[in-house]
Amino acid sequence: MGNEAIARGFVEAGVSVVSGYPGTPSSEVIATLHEFGVGSEIYVEWAVNERVAFEIAYGAAISGARAAATMKAPGASVALDPLISSAYGGVEGGLVVLVADDPGPHTTQTEQDNRWLGPLAKLPVLSPSSPQEAKDLAVTAFDLSEELKLPVILRTTTRVNHAVGDVVLGPVRPPQRFREFRKNIPRFVRAGMVFNLERHRWLNSRLELAEDTLSKLYPSANRVEGSGELCVVTEGAAYNYVKEVLEELGVEASVVKLSLLYPPPVKFLGEALRSCREVLVVEELDPYLEAVVKKLLHELGRRVPVYGKDSGYVPKEGELSRRLVAEALASAGWVPKAAISSPAKALPSPSPRPPPMCPGCPHRNTYIALLLAIARAGYGRDEVPIFGDIGCYALSFQPPFEAIWTEHSMGASISMAMGLKAAGYGKPVVATIGDSTLFHAGLQPLLEAVHKRVDVLVVVLDNSVVAMTGHQSTPAWGTTESGRRAKPVSIEEVVRAIGVDRVYVIDPYDLDLAVEVLTKALKEAGVRVVVAKHPCALMEVRARGVSRRYRVVESRCTGCLACVRVTGCPALYYSNGKVRVAEEDCVGCGLCARFCPYNAFEVVEVG
Amino acid sequence: MDRKVVNVAIASVGGQGGLTLSRVLAVAAVYDGLSVRTGETLGMAQRFGSVVSYVRFGDSVLSPTFSEGEADYLIGLELTEALRALKLLKSGGLALVANIVKPPVTAGLKKEELTAETLLREISKYARTIQVPAAEIAQRAGNPRAINMVMLGAFVLISSTLSDSSIRSAIAEVVPQRWVESSIKAYELGRSFVLRKLSSSSS
Repeated sequence: MGNEAIARGFVEAGVSVVSGYPGTPSSEVIATLHEFGVGSEIYVEWAVNERVAFEIAYGAAISGARAAATMKAPGASVALDPLISSAYGGVEGGLVVLVADDPGPHTTQTEQDNRWLGPLAKLPVLSPSSPQEAKDLAVTAFDLSEELKLPVILRTTTRVNHAVGDVVLGPVRPPQRFREFRKNIPRFVRAGMVFNLERHRWLNSRLELAEDTLSKLYPSANRVEGSGELCVVTEGAAYNYVKEVLEELGVEASVVKLSLLYPPPVKFLGEALRSCREVLVVEELDPYLEAVVKKLLHELGRRVPVYGKDSGYVPKEGELSRRLVAEALASAGWVPKAAISSPAKALPSPSPRPPPMCPGCPHRNTYIALLLAIARAGYGRDEVPIFGDIGCYALSFQPPFEAIWTEHSMGASISMAMGLKAAGYGKPVVATIGDSTLFHAGLQPLLEAVHKRVDVLVVVLDNSVVAMTGHQSTPAWGTTESGRRAKPVSIEEVVRAIGVDRVYVIDPYDLDLAVEVLTKALKEAGVRVVVAKHPCALMEVRARGVSRRYRVVESRCTGCLACVRVTGCPALYYSNGKVRVAEEDCVGCGLCARFCPYNAFEVVEVG
Repeated sequence: MDRKVVNVAIASVGGQGGLTLSRVLAVAAVYDGLSVRTGETLGMAQRFGSVVSYVRFGDSVLSPTFSEGEADYLIGLELTEALRALKLLKSGGLALVANIVKPPVTAGLKKEELTAETLLREISKYARTIQVPAAEIAQRAGNPRAINMVMLGAFVLISSTLSDSSIRSAIAEVVPQRWVESSIKAYELGRSFVLRKLSSSSS
């Protein structure tokens, strides 16, 4: 897998400090490095958020150590402040920042195109096309970073991170750890404006070296394949589609493949485009390379048609595919429209299957309890806005719950709820946030709400794990994945220390108590925090197994669907006028039985 | 052995083992000296959701995915998802489906009846289809979760694209140690099911 290849590249390059925050499609890099386990010379740990992860890596790299930070696309925004400043201070040891974008999007809130981090942060950006190249460029990125003395961004997309392919390994260098850290105020203290202007000049002079330095380190990073006056400029995952489709359709063209996206390799590109009669730029998301190509051709005084997103041949949204690339070639008139197979005929489309909360998920209980509490407190469901946050519990937006009204960015539930109150909303507001999201970016909003004496109910959905991205550790763990002994941080203690007005801790599996506490909390003033604590059902089943399941007594089931309408449990299904339980999926939480008016569920004890 | 690129789509419900199946195919293809790519999205939140994995192997493969109408084979671990992914299959492609239905919550809420019979009838309207009683076979192999390995056996036998020995090594490499034996058993039973089916239909 691309991410395993990147992890291998980090090791081959002698990385000694790796930090990150889980986020699809970046998480498997650190997960792979965790397999080294206890006693490894490499520090590999999840951090509370991406900016902390980046700063840990940066602190290591200014001392000569090789370091890396990993994150998904929105995480790069969280790390942006220190990232931009790091370009002015620079590094001594190689520092690589993996930023995994998600054209599609498959698992991300936006289709943020982080290639713009290059010109924004003024840091070199490298982009691989395959697992092999991801491994090779990961190694090169460290060498480039050290030569330029600048952090280097390794920008990937889902179809590189999660693509599986064969990879040829290289030699492993020993971890490059602390060498020396000298006090150098103009370099590392951003409080001096004269220094900052001087460092900006230094930064620009370093960037000028990027293209030549990279071509010495990795001569084929930017390359031309094939020949002809028709030229395709491409990078990343799009390169794969371009190569295959050109060959299959028998188009003679030059493929100009870029790995260095910032600063644009203008010497190489000017030469590569010299004999082009027409240029098609094939890239995912924004017309980033297209702008580079147009500007360069303009500067060279070349009047050559450049097709791409501005011409409408390549979509600006979603991910590319073999078909979309073939269609772009047809739009450019390089292949006849007839050469492209038409999309499949209309086929039946079954009821959709969006990912639901798992059977036994404690978040299901918490949201049911919250909705019942809102009713019991005398409010309609449309009167009490529930602000959501990022994590599995955001799946509560789906039927039958349709619970959360927003899901915006990490930690935003609390601050946005506060904003609604500040704007004059008179009825109660609720923020729901997971444990890891609270640690990531929820504590400062909570502090803000406490300090400004806002009336808000904050429900912390605490399943003691970063569940959505594959069960990574949180600051509440006593031992991390690497085997490091850690000090568990208690949410309850932290929240109390911030000074919230009331704190309750409940187990959402005790639904009656949960409803009671939430009803009370809804009616109170001030900042109330209810910690709804129960382990992730998947983890619980993995640790303890399933001791009982439920089944439907057919004679009693009337097919009223109360169980499905309340719980939306994916282990329940409808067949022949009755509800049935998918035995292999039931974990025995009993929520369905509780809401059955006809007592139609019975317990089956298991082994 | 034919080394032109083979496109395989695997349709499943998150948690059924579609990703493991795709990984076994990829590793086996590498053992067979082929170039391979797979494409999928990972993460716990795919659990109980629709999952499609793309597996491509041959002399030279670059793209991790393919487009609609390009799959030589569709392996369905569940019938609703097999029907949903049918658009990926090229005309003349083969749908190899497990005789399993896990109706989505959205269907239950609408009191929509989804049965194996109706789904199979729909699927076979559009594609050459082989159904495999994968749940029963996995049960017989002593590992009810090994539906994916049963379908692996069925696929390997019918497609003749990957070698038996590479598949066995790949299972041992990908599947957790304690499940290897029953996975191999499920794989073998999947093979022999299709073998019997082929020989009975040709006689």
